[in-house]
Amino acid sequence: MKRQQFEDAALPHLNDLYRTATRLLADSTKADDVVQDVFLQAWKSFDRFEVGTNCRAWLYKILFHVVHHHRRKWFNVRMVKESEEILEQVAASPEPLAENLTDAEILSALDRVPQDFRAVVLLVDVDEFSYKEASGILGVPIGTVMSRLSRGRKLLREQLEQTAQSYGIGKGKLEGRTA
Amino acid sequence: MKLVQFGENTCARIRRYMDSYINNELLVETNHEVLRHLETCPACAAEVESRTRLKIRLKRAVQNQTVPEDLQARVHAALRQESHSSFAWTRWASAAAAVLMVAAGLWFELPRWTRPALPDLADRRGQDAFIQKVSTSLSAVLKVGLGDHIHCAIFRKYPKNPPSVDEMAQKLGPSYQELVPLVKARVPEGYRIILAHQCGFQGRRFVHLTLTNGSSLLSLVITRRQPGESMQALPISDHAAGVPVYQAAAQNYDVAGFETDQFLAYVVSDLGARQNLQIAYALAPAVHQFLAAVRG
Repeated sequence: MKRQQFEDAALPHLNDLYRTATRLLADSTKADDVVQDVFLQAWKSFDRFEVGTNCRAWLYKILFHVVHHHRRKWFNVRMVKESEEILEQVAASPEPLAENLTDAEILSALDRVPQDFRAVVLLVDVDEFSYKEASGILGVPIGTVMSRLSRGRKLLREQLEQTAQSYGIGKGKLEGRTA
Repeated sequence: MKLVQFGENTCARIRRYMDSYINNELLVETNHEVLRHLETCPACAAEVESRTRLKIRLKRAVQNQTVPEDLQARVHAALRQESHSSFAWTRWASAAAAVLMVAAGLWFELPRWTRPALPDLADRRGQDAFIQKVSTSLSAVLKVGLGDHIHCAIFRKYPKNPPSVDEMAQKLGPSYQELVPLVKARVPEGYRIILAHQCGFQGRRFVHLTLTNGSSLLSLVITRRQPGESMQALPISDHAAGVPVYQAAAQNYDVAGFETDQFLAYVVSDLGARQNLQIAYALAPAVHQFLAAVRG
């Protein structure tokens, strides 16, 4: 009965969690493992979940906790510092970018955005969480969410511009490409 | 009312608000200020449009990613497994701890004949006795799969360098050769097929694929149903995309079974109940569909 309640509340978010995890890790196999861990951890702590509160945000909070744990295990990376260093190299806001690109090109550009910024872009732009919810999920102040979102979007636009340049085409030609 | 200043400084300020404006996170007054500016500033309006389009396009690209068909079934299985473990643990924790300590002591202290040791490879009678002993706890219909796994995958000697996947597929014959790529595509990373053939055990014919992850062996065993044989009386572990999967343990092996009108199929390994069931869930829908289409 309790498991049924949990599944009814949590399983509808499975696909969204998997897609976000895939982009956070840039690896679908690892995302598969992570999502299974998220559901197991959520199930184990379901007693502490308050029915009627935001189950989706709760699951995403667990997702980021599990991703953080796995990344330390898999990559042993210094996430924030590296991100901030790259951030400092970002130039002024680029010109508006044409978006007539393929899914693969967009996802590849997103994967090249440092994870801290990518995480906020995913939460706010893709999963449509409010700043307040994203702040709760990531455990950072709302101001940090806002600055990471702004910088993350800027970095994404830059990556997409680089993709366009790698084709040897200008923005005008990019407009005419088919997805 | 706040007076809106136009010019480069205003554009710079409005662009600082732009991300929050796109996300509808601005206070009403600031939102109006941005809107008024956008009505009169084509450059900023174009920037908002471009950023909004990119946001929509990004969302679509992420949402277009394919989710594995069997992911929900595997999560389901993991939860089910976890529930059972938790239940057993909370109910039997102290008793199990005591039993484990005694069992561990006995395992090392009692004579070797008290646990089922692998018989000599040449000792066919010993092999049969071993299989019978190991599968005692299983229902007759699941014994079929475990028996062929042990007979073929455990006792058989493999070539050090298995043939190529194409060669193995050829060996299976035209009716079953497509099983090789089908299985290969669905098992977790790190598993490789080391044997795919048709074999016989206790008067039955089997299609048998054996895989290894370097430390354990896993078999997909398929055989035709005989009159009266069915798994339907067994407790269902769960459904994998509509295909009922039945799993039971026999000593250190786990046997997950599913069936079609004509065939019985088994996933057998010593990987542990959770992992064995996960692989069975990954394989069951596609193998079931494949077998349903086999004629003759």
